[in-house]
Amino acid sequence: MIAPLCRRGAAAVALLAGLACGPAMAADRAALPPYSFAYEPQGVDERGMWMMADEDERILRTSSFVIRDEELNAYVRGVLCRTVGEDRCRNVRVYVMRIPQFNATMYANGMMTVWSGLLLRVQNEAELGAVLGHEFGHFEKRHSLNGFKNKRSVSDVLAWLGMVGPNAGLSASLAGYVYSFSRAQETEADLIGIQYLASSAYPSAAAPKVWSRLMAEQDATAAGRKRKVRHSYAAGFFASHPTEAAREAYLSREAAKYADAGDPGAEAYRKGIAKWLPQLLDDQIKLNDFGGSEYLLDQLAASGGSADVTFARAELYSQRGNPRDYVTAAELYREAIAKGCDRPEARRGLGLALLRTQQSDEGKQALRSYLEFRPDAPDGPMIKSLVGN
Amino acid sequence: MKPITLIIAAALAAAPAYAGNSLIPAGRTVQVAKSAMAVTPGSEWNKLGRRPGTNGEIWTLDGDKLNRVTFYGGIAQDTTLFREVDRKNSPLPRFSQTMLLTDVPKLLENSYRVALGSALFTIDQMEPARFGGVDGIRFTYSFVAGNQEVQSKGEARAAIVKGRLYMISYEAPALHFFEKNVAQFRQIADSATF
Ligand SMILES: [Zn+2]
Repeated sequence: MIAPLCRRGAAAVALLAGLACGPAMAADRAALPPYSFAYEPQGVDERGMWMMADEDERILRTSSFVIRDEELNAYVRGVLCRTVGEDRCRNVRVYVMRIPQFNATMYANGMMTVWSGLLLRVQNEAELGAVLGHEFGHFEKRHSLNGFKNKRSVSDVLAWLGMVGPNAGLSASLAGYVYSFSRAQETEADLIGIQYLASSAYPSAAAPKVWSRLMAEQDATAAGRKRKVRHSYAAGFFASHPTEAAREAYLSREAAKYADAGDPGAEAYRKGIAKWLPQLLDDQIKLNDFGGSEYLLDQLAASGGSADVTFARAELYSQRGNPRDYVTAAELYREAIAKGCDRPEARRGLGLALLRTQQSDEGKQALRSYLEFRPDAPDGPMIKSLVGN
Repeated sequence: MKPITLIIAAALAAAPAYAGNSLIPAGRTVQVAKSAMAVTPGSEWNKLGRRPGTNGEIWTLDGDKLNRVTFYGGIAQDTTLFREVDRKNSPLPRFSQTMLLTDVPKLLENSYRVALGSALFTIDQMEPARFGGVDGIRFTYSFVAGNQEVQSKGEARAAIVKGRLYMISYEAPALHFFEKNVAQFRQIADSATF
């Protein structure tokens, strides 16, 4: 059994019914207490939890979901270390996971997982540090497991796909069988997380922004699926989504108290994840979430989006596949190519979109150019059959 | 290689028996997936009692985690390949008549990504191939599914006939098992008629 101690994001349970503002904090400065090393678990329960976490870590180390790129791992770890400080950082092993949802988890033994979907959703190092600092807060405060809930019922489709078995292990937790902390512990982790941020070179004002954008993304997802939008930013703020809304509110208040300045590291962040951005985008747009994906692409475009972002948007539209979407997609593929997108798939996408907007000649021309760019294309024979002779 | 294969077999073959399974004899033509699709298997197969969706059917030789043939019998406009897993929070993509054959692998890919919650899925190859007497597509793919983290391989044949998608796929652990029975799958796919 795997027991991530924290889970948030789209699937998070309702939290913080009454908005307690956390412990009274020294309002002036964010001085962190010194960190004690070499902590050993105390008592039967805590030792048991550490053993479970150790076992989980053994499984996770060989998991195919772990992204093994040393550069990326070092970069993410670096952000954690710059947020919580070198002393604290030394006690943590960070694993970046290829899971396209917003999440990070902290285990009792010092193992932290950072999901690739989080990397796509934060805009700078300070925001990433805010989330990682929150996770570290659970570790520093030695939050113990507070019971668990099964978020998803077992369906026979999962059984069919081989998801359910006697050895339910790592991927069971990936599918949403997760443990969670108590509300009070989540709040405490939020408050210590923002304290790390305030005492670091990063500005604490970054923390609430993660949550306000997450809410907007959830709204966009709902709207894209023709479901009722649940958030209201003007009035009745806490009515429907207390978790993210409450977090955003009390983190804003804390940040205002700290009133610390600093460079959030947006440019450094873009560089840090640049190599992985195409993969992160690809995983996102294949989630069948048009509204949420488009919102994320808008955010990325607004913060200086690249040709990769335009290409991803083109793919998103052609996947939705309404007749007008192919017109939009063709324009976007052209724009991506003009911006310097050198992926042969941009020509492939352009060609297929044009074929469906009754621009057969131009479409075939684009497909031919795809085959020239990529003579060994895995779908080469299929594309050739569309081009004809 | 052998020990690993044995471990996988031990882990996967222990699937519980399901009620309603039945034997498909060799050499007899059978209708599949409650549809107009019919195949004539060259060897004996087990048909699972549970269906992945209304237009679906699963056959296996040694248990569906070791080898699995899935029939998709005429997926209609705006319907999913198989039953929704979590319709509200992660709905599956739907088949559309505007799709070209080149879109079919991605429909399967995205359906699996959503249903499995796994981003580890890649389309490896696709090429034109006759299927059920019409122009269709043959494609191969790899994915990681299931709590054993087994690397699986898949191969499928598909065609769109009168606005409906017909497809047969074969999936098995990449190590040893895929190669072992892929010929039996290809024979079934070759025998398909609509
Ligand atoms: Zn937490």
